Amino acid sequence: MKKIVVLLMVMSSFSAISQTNEGVVKYTRTTYWTKLISQLSYVTKQEKDKMSYMFGGRDDWKEYMLLYFNENGSRYTHSEEKSDESEGYDWGKQEFNINRNFEKNTMTDLVDFLGKGYLIEDSLQTPKWKILNDLKDVAGHICMKAMVEDTVKKQKIIAWFAQDIPLNAGPERLYGLPGMILELDINDGAVIIEATKIELKKLGNEMDLPKKLKGKKLTEKGYQEMLYKFVKEKTKEENANWIWMVRY
Amino acid sequence: MRGDLKFSASPYYLTLYLKMKKILLLISILLFTHLVNAQNPSRIVIKGSIKDTAGTALSAATVMLLQPKDSSLVNFARANESGTFEFKNVRNANYILKVSYVGYLPYQQVLSPSASEINDLGNLKIKPIAKELIEVVVKTARAPLTIRGDTIEYNASSFKVPPGSSVEDLLRRLPGIEVDASGNIKAQGKDVKKVLVDGKTFFGDDPKAATKNLGAETISKIQVFNDKSEQAKLTGVDDGKKEKAINLELKEEFKKGAFGKVTVAAGTESRGVLRGNYNRFNKKEQFSILGYTNNINETGVNWNDYGEFKGNNSFNNNDNGDFGFANGGSRYNFDGGDLLNNFDGKGFTNNFGTGLNYNYTFQKTKFSSSYFYNQTRLSLDQFEEKKTFLQNSFFSNTDTTGKTDFRRNHSVAMRVEQMLDSSNTLIAKANLRVSHSDVGTNQSQRYFTDENTLNTTSKIDNSSKLNSLGFSGSLIFRHKFKKKGRNFALSTGLNTNSSDGTENLNSLSRFLNATNVNEQVKALGQLNQNENKATLIKSSLFFLEPISKKMYWESFYNFSTDHREVGREAFNALRNNSRFDSLSTFYKNTINYNRVGTSLRYSFKGVNVTVGLAALRFDLEGKLYGGKDYPVAQSLTKSYDAVTPNISSDIALKNNTYLSLNYTLNVQAPDISYLQPVVNNNNPFYIITGNPDLLPEKSNNLSLYFNKFDPATFSYINLWTEYNSYSSQIVYNQTVDENFVTRTRPENLSGGKNFNVGTYIGFPIVKTKFTLNLNGNASIGNSPTFINGVKNETDNKSYQLGLGFNINPSEKLLMNVSGRLGFNNINYSIEERQNQQIRNHGIDASVKWNFAKKLFLETNLDYKTYRNDRFGFDQNIPIYNCSVRKLFGKENKVEVRLAAFDIFNKRQNIVQMASQNYVTTQRALTLARYFMLSFTYNMKGHADKLKKNGGW
Repeated sequence: MKKIVVLLMVMSSFSAISQTNEGVVKYTRTTYWTKLISQLSYVTKQEKDKMSYMFGGRDDWKEYMLLYFNENGSRYTHSEEKSDESEGYDWGKQEFNINRNFEKNTMTDLVDFLGKGYLIEDSLQTPKWKILNDLKDVAGHICMKAMVEDTVKKQKIIAWFAQDIPLNAGPERLYGLPGMILELDINDGAVIIEATKIELKKLGNEMDLPKKLKGKKLTEKGYQEMLYKFVKEKTKEENANWIWMVRY
Repeated sequence: MRGDLKFSASPYYLTLYLKMKKILLLISILLFTHLVNAQNPSRIVIKGSIKDTAGTALSAATVMLLQPKDSSLVNFARANESGTFEFKNVRNANYILKVSYVGYLPYQQVLSPSASEINDLGNLKIKPIAKELIEVVVKTARAPLTIRGDTIEYNASSFKVPPGSSVEDLLRRLPGIEVDASGNIKAQGKDVKKVLVDGKTFFGDDPKAATKNLGAETISKIQVFNDKSEQAKLTGVDDGKKEKAINLELKEEFKKGAFGKVTVAAGTESRGVLRGNYNRFNKKEQFSILGYTNNINETGVNWNDYGEFKGNNSFNNNDNGDFGFANGGSRYNFDGGDLLNNFDGKGFTNNFGTGLNYNYTFQKTKFSSSYFYNQTRLSLDQFEEKKTFLQNSFFSNTDTTGKTDFRRNHSVAMRVEQMLDSSNTLIAKANLRVSHSDVGTNQSQRYFTDENTLNTTSKIDNSSKLNSLGFSGSLIFRHKFKKKGRNFALSTGLNTNSSDGTENLNSLSRFLNATNVNEQVKALGQLNQNENKATLIKSSLFFLEPISKKMYWESFYNFSTDHREVGREAFNALRNNSRFDSLSTFYKNTINYNRVGTSLRYSFKGVNVTVGLAALRFDLEGKLYGGKDYPVAQSLTKSYDAVTPNISSDIALKNNTYLSLNYTLNVQAPDISYLQPVVNNNNPFYIITGNPDLLPEKSNNLSLYFNKFDPATFSYINLWTEYNSYSSQIVYNQTVDENFVTRTRPENLSGGKNFNVGTYIGFPIVKTKFTLNLNGNASIGNSPTFINGVKNETDNKSYQLGLGFNINPSEKLLMNVSGRLGFNNINYSIEERQNQQIRNHGIDASVKWNFAKKLFLETNLDYKTYRNDRFGFDQNIPIYNCSVRKLFGKENKVEVRLAAFDIFNKRQNIVQMASQNYVTTQRALTLARYFMLSFTYNMKGHADKLKKNGGW
C-alpha cells in the first residue's frame, strides 16, 4: 500500500510535467522457437545443435500486442494486426486480456489455459525486481535494466523500463517498475517483447473491463499452482508441448 | 579471465581496486550498523535532493531503494520540481539508494540504518553521461551501456561500419578510442600494447595484426583493460605497472561448431554398412558432407540425416510458384528425393551415395548449393499370380520375374533467396540432374483357362538403357505494397528433360490351343531407339488485396506451355533389323494451359472461408509423324474449357478444435502419351494404345476434417471424410482375345466414385504411463471399365481397424503393442461368382529397455497374415528383430550394437491387390535373417536414455 501512495505522488508530479498521460504502446512479441526448445532439460546437445543448424535464423514467429495505459491502470491484449507472412489468414488467438488497476490495487486477468478460460482476480502482487546498471534505447526512450525470475516456468526475465515515462505498467503480466516497461527478454532471447511505438492520446473505452467476465475464477496463487503442476508433469513426461500450451 | 578484466571503452574508467574498496566499505558498514541497530528507530524518513554537477535541480529523477544483497527493488519515488524526494515510513535498514535520470550516470549510495527518524542525505550530485556516448552509442548504435561505478562498457557490434571494414575502422568510431594514420591505438589517451582475440594472442604481439586483419563484422564486444606488464607476468611479482590492452570478443556466429558421426557395420551373409556425415558451421555458413555404402537395402539416408545434410536448406517456405487454389492442371515438382531412402521392400540392393552441401546465410541473402551422387543396383525375383475376370469367365496367369536394375544419378542444386529491400524478395532456384539406368528383365508367363488348363506360355527377355538430362529452374518475386496486407507475386519456371535410350524386346510365346501351326509359336525380336524431349515453361501471377480487416480479395493467373517430342525407331531383330514401320513413331505435342481465378476470403478470429471461381483452358496440339524426318501423318488440335468453383474453409474453434470443409472441381488434362495412337508392346500380353479422342478427367471432391485436442490430458480425436465422384474419368477399357492377349486403351467414362471415412483417437488411461490409440478407416469405391464391350463395375469396400497401447512403466522401459485388421471385399458386376475377400492382419510389439548403465535392449516382433480364400492364399510372416547396444566413453561418443534381423528367417514382400477386373498377389524375395555388429562414433555423443518421443 505504501508503494501505491508513493506511486500516486509520482503520478501527480508526472501529470504536472506532461499533459497527456494516457495512451497505447504497440509491442511486437517474437518467439524464437529453437531457443525455446533448447532450454528444455532433456534435449540433448546433438539435438540442440541440429535444431539451430536446420532452423536457426528463421525460427521467429511474431505477434502484435497492445498496452493501453493511463495513470490508474493498464490493459494488455492482442492487437488485431496480422503479420506480413500470414497473407491475411487468421488462426484465432488465445484469450490474453491483462487488466491492472493501480488505484484499487487489483488485477483482473482473462487468460486461456489448456483450452479453458480463467478469470484471475486478486490484489496486485508486485514482482520482486532487481535493478541493474545498464542503459539502452528502446523506441526512443533510454531505459534501465531490471530482472525478475519466474520460478514456475523457470524463466529469467529481463525488463527495460523507461526512465522518462513514470508509469509502472508493463507488457505481459509484468509491471511495478519506476517507469513503463518497454522491452522484455525471456530466457536469453527465447521470447522478446519490444515496444515499437508509444502513442500518447486520449483513450476512449479501450480500458473498460468486458461486461461479461467469463472464465473459472482463480486467485493469482491458484493460477500459479495450476501452472506449476502442469509444467512439472509435462517436464517429467519429456513432452515439449507444454511450451506451446502455456503462454511462455 | 573475466575477473581481472576491467574493461571500458570510454573516459569513465575505474580500476578494480576502486571496486574492491567499495566492497570493503560496504562490509564495514554492515558490521557497524549491526552493532548499533538496537537503539535505532524502526521506521524512518529518507529524504534528499538531486542536483547535477552544476547544481541544477533534477526534477522527476527516479529514486529507488534497493536491497543491498541482491539489488532487489524495495521502494521508489520521484524527485519533485525542486529536485527533492522523500521516502516516508520506511523500515530502518541497509539500502542501496539509486538515482537515475535520463542522460546521467545512475548514482548509487549505500545507506546504513539511521540513528534519527529522518535520514536527510542532503544534496546528491549526479554526473552526466558524455554526450557522445548517449548520442553515438545509445541513440545511434542502439547499444546497451553497462555501468559499473564510473565505468561504462558497451557492445561494439551495434556500430554500423561499411561491409568489409576492418576492426581498425570500427575502433575509429568508438568514443574514447583513437587510431592514428599508421594504425597505432590509444585508449583513454594511453597506448594500447596488446590486442587479444577471445582472450588469446592473435598472431604474435603486434597489436595491429588483429585490428587490421580481422573484419569488423566478426566482433561483438570490445573490452579495454589494464594488463600486467610482461615483466610482472614473467616474475610473477606484480610490479604495479599496468599496460593498456584490448580484447576483441568474437561474435557467436564466428565461433565454429561441428558435428558428425560415422558407422561401420559388418554382418553375416556378407552384409556390410559404411555411413558417415560431417557438418561444420557458424551462424553464416554451413558445410556438410555425407556418404554411405551398404547392401542392406538402404537406398538413401533417413530424415534425420537428410536434415543434417541440408541444414537450413532442408525446408523452404514460399518455394511453390504455382499460385491460386489447387487444381490438377499444371504443377511441377522437382524431385530432390534421390537422397532419401525409398526402398519399396522388394529384392536386394547394393547402394552407394555421396554428396556435399554448402549454405550461406547472411543478412538479406540466403544461398544454398549441393551436389549429390547416388547409385543403386537392384536384383529382384518376384512371383505373381493374377486372376482376370471377363463376362461369365475368367483366366489366370502366373508370372515369374527376374530383374536387374542399375540406376545412377548426379544432381546439382542451387537456391538463392535475396531480400532486395524490406518490401521485395526474390527466390531463384536451379537444379540439374543427369541420370543413367540399365534394366534387364527375364519373365516367364503362363496363362490358364478358367478350367485351369494351360493355354499359353511366354518367355520375355527385355533390356533397356536410358540416359537422361534434366534441368529445372524457377524465379519467384514477391512484393509487399505500402498498404499493409497488399501483396503481389510473380513466378516463372523452366523445366527441360531430354533422354535417349535403347530397348531390346525379345519374347517367345506358345499358344497351345492354336490349330494353325503358324499361330502356335510367336516370336518377337524388337530393338527400339527412343529419343524424348520435354520442355515446360510456366508463369504465375498472384495479387492479394485486403478489402477490410476481415475481407481479402485474391486473384491469380497461371500459364504453362508443355512441349514434348517423342521419337521411337523400332527395328525387327528377327529380320535383319529392318524398320518396324507400324511400331516406329515420332510425335510432337504441345499443351498450353491458361487459368485465371479470383476468390473472396473472410478471415477473422480463427474463421477463414474462401469462395472462388476459376476459368481454365487447355489447348492441345499434336502432330504424328511416321518417323523423325517424315512428313506429318496425322495432326490433332483440341481445346477444353472449364469453369471450376472452389470453396475452402478452415475454422479454428475454441478449445483447440479445428474444422475444415473443402469443395473443388478438379479438371486434369489427359497425359499427352495417352493421346497418341502409339502402341506399347513391352508385354506382348498387355498391349496399350493411345486414344486421340480423350477428354480431360473431371472430378468433384468434397472433404471434411475435424480435429480436437485436449492439452490437459493430451487426448486427441481426428475425423475425416472425403467424397470424390468422376463426371469424366480416364479408364483403361479392355478387349481380351481367346489367347488372353489384352488390348487396352484409355477412354472417358463417368460414374466412378469413392468415399472414405476415418478416425484417429488417442488418450491416456493412466497419465504418462499407459496410453491408448485407436484408428479406423472405411472406404467404398466404384470403378467402371468396359471389358470386351461390356461394362463392368467393380465395387471395392475396405475396412481397417487398429488398436494400440503405449506402456511406459518407467523412464527405462518403453513398450508398444498394436494390432490391426484389414478387410477388402471386391465385387465384380460381370462375374459375381468371383466376388472375393482379401484379408491383411497384423500384430506388432516392441520393447525398448535401458536395462543397465549405458546398456539398451531393443526388440520388435511384427507378425503379419495375408489371406485370400478364393485364391487359396494363406501366408503368415513373423519378423522378429532384436538388438543390444552399449555406449562407451565419458560423453557416450561410441556406440556398439549387436543386432539380429528377422531371427525366424521369414521375410518376404507380399502385396495383395484388387482393381478393375483383376485380383493379384505378388511375392518378392528380400533380405531375410542376418546378424550385424556395428560401431558408431558420434562427435557430440549419443543420448544416454530412451527417447519417449521421436522428435522434440
